[in-house]
Amino acid sequence: MISQNVLHRPLRTFITVLAVAVEVTLVIIVVGLTSGLMFESAKRTEGVGADIMVQPPSASIYMQFSGAPMPIAIAGKLSQLQYVQAVAPVLIQFNSVNGLEIVYGIDPETFRAVSGGFVFHDGHDLQNPNDILVDDVYAKSKKVKLGQTLHVLEHDFHVAGVVEHGKGARLFVLMPTLQEMSGAHDKASVFYIKNDRSDRTAAVVDEVRELLPRYEIRPLKDFISLMTSSTLPGLNAFINVMIGIAVAIGFLVIFLSMYTTIIERTREIGVLKSLGASKGYIVRIVMSETVLLCLAGVAGGIGLTYLMRAIFVRIFPTLTILITPGWIGRALVIAVGGGLLGASYPAWLASRKDPVEALSYE
Amino acid sequence: MNPLQMDASHAVESRLESNHTNHSRLSHGGQRLEPILKTENVWKIYRTGKVDVPALRGVDVEIMPGEFVSIMGPSGCGKSTMLHVMGGLAQATRGKVLLDGNDLTTMTDAARTVLRRHKVGFVFQRFNLLPTLDAYHNIALAQHIRADGFDPHRFEVVANLLGISGRLKHKPSEMSGGEQQRVAIARAIVSEPKIVLADEPTGNLDTKSSEAVLNLLASLNKDLGQTIVMITHNPEAAAYGHRVLHMRDGLVVDGATVH
Repeated sequence: MISQNVLHRPLRTFITVLAVAVEVTLVIIVVGLTSGLMFESAKRTEGVGADIMVQPPSASIYMQFSGAPMPIAIAGKLSQLQYVQAVAPVLIQFNSVNGLEIVYGIDPETFRAVSGGFVFHDGHDLQNPNDILVDDVYAKSKKVKLGQTLHVLEHDFHVAGVVEHGKGARLFVLMPTLQEMSGAHDKASVFYIKNDRSDRTAAVVDEVRELLPRYEIRPLKDFISLMTSSTLPGLNAFINVMIGIAVAIGFLVIFLSMYTTIIERTREIGVLKSLGASKGYIVRIVMSETVLLCLAGVAGGIGLTYLMRAIFVRIFPTLTILITPGWIGRALVIAVGGGLLGASYPAWLASRKDPVEALSYE
Repeated sequence: MNPLQMDASHAVESRLESNHTNHSRLSHGGQRLEPILKTENVWKIYRTGKVDVPALRGVDVEIMPGEFVSIMGPSGCGKSTMLHVMGGLAQATRGKVLLDGNDLTTMTDAARTVLRRHKVGFVFQRFNLLPTLDAYHNIALAQHIRADGFDPHRFEVVANLLGISGRLKHKPSEMSGGEQQRVAIARAIVSEPKIVLADEPTGNLDTKSSEAVLNLLASLNKDLGQTIVMITHNPEAAAYGHRVLHMRDGLVVDGATVH
């Protein structure tokens, strides 16, 4: 009876299922996009190859959100610490033209000493003030060719080389150029430290803490594990708001759908009551139909999510959208829970209908 | 005796046996049975705005097991209200309604629902089949609600008896009025109710279909011993009953008790 009822009004069923699918897609995509960005950023930060990262006091681990620079002279003091092999200062700027990217202002020599150097697909290292290096993913997605002019941060750069991705950013320019452009003379956003041996990280961290007591000093081993929404203030709230909006969509559509269903089926409810159906039986029918609609919506939503991801990645190849089984499960619970909540009033209304009045309903 | 008739005889015997078990007051010698349904001074008052409108004004009726009783009366005289009160769909405002020994007027809504599920079968003028289900599932629904398991044997007997075995896969919209009403009757009796309450079962049917449905009800009463109370406007239809109750202005004016 449940499936027959659901199929009885195909258009209404389709719209309800579509709304739940949109709800599920919204939840998974929003979470997948934020966690994908974090994961990608963390992976690239780890990819620099440093052992320790030093940032200004109270700086976020999401470097694209931290603008506060430090005196570059700190690099010299850090270099003198025991067990420190190399220190690479980096100035970071956030580029929002033609997508969202961070740009590393680097000193090629020190950056090479820490990271082991770029793997060049094409071209050469940064030499001139207007040179820029792009990684292969960026070059492919933006169709950037060696030697062309690239407009970044309101400045025209010359593409000097295409490098293998995974070394902190997708775009690299000389640090003095970026300092000049951003008015941050002799400043750096982060110092990457390479130890002489990786098992001495704890000792170096202690040394740096002593030297720079209030600074943020983070070992980069297992850095990805730190990249959760809870470590970025406001991100959790943003995700919760988006989930709330998604739940509201599902709730309202299911409420409206089941409410109109109940009104339309008033006489049928009277018939069921005349046959001796209890209030619980009628509530179960309404709720079962809701669960069926929600499950169809979740299935559709998962399909729609993968479709959206494919479209997004095709349009923005640098974008990472993480679709995890955990969040698919949570989206299912959210969709079904919101749906049941939306159907609860119509179900209650149906169960309390007077059988005589219901039977005479036209 | 064919298998169907054997089933019918068996059903009558088991019903009588059941009555005997449930009602120790039955007397074997005098053939005096307790009424399966009895109303005592039943009132039903509807409130419309600030005005009380009495639909039933002290109805006293006795229906004996195995009886086929017709109820006649002008529109608005309270026939349908009486049927609803008898079947526990509506609660009487005053008085007593005893269904198979259970006083409906003192029962909760939930208890009346359970009693209705097990002891009453309704047949309506507009058939009231669920449009999304085929005939098979419309009939099986009654057994499903009763929740004591689907009885395929009983189902088959009823479907054969009502001549709808070949129409079970059809939805109501694919059946004639007469066929729909036969499905509705099957749904009413498939759970072996103590009493079938039919509210103008031929009101939406042509003469031929009406006659077929009335013959069917008469046959259910005769062969299965099914107690039936039927509301009708048609004197010819009423004549199918053993007894005709006449109602006027919320009162039974004639035929209230068995003579």
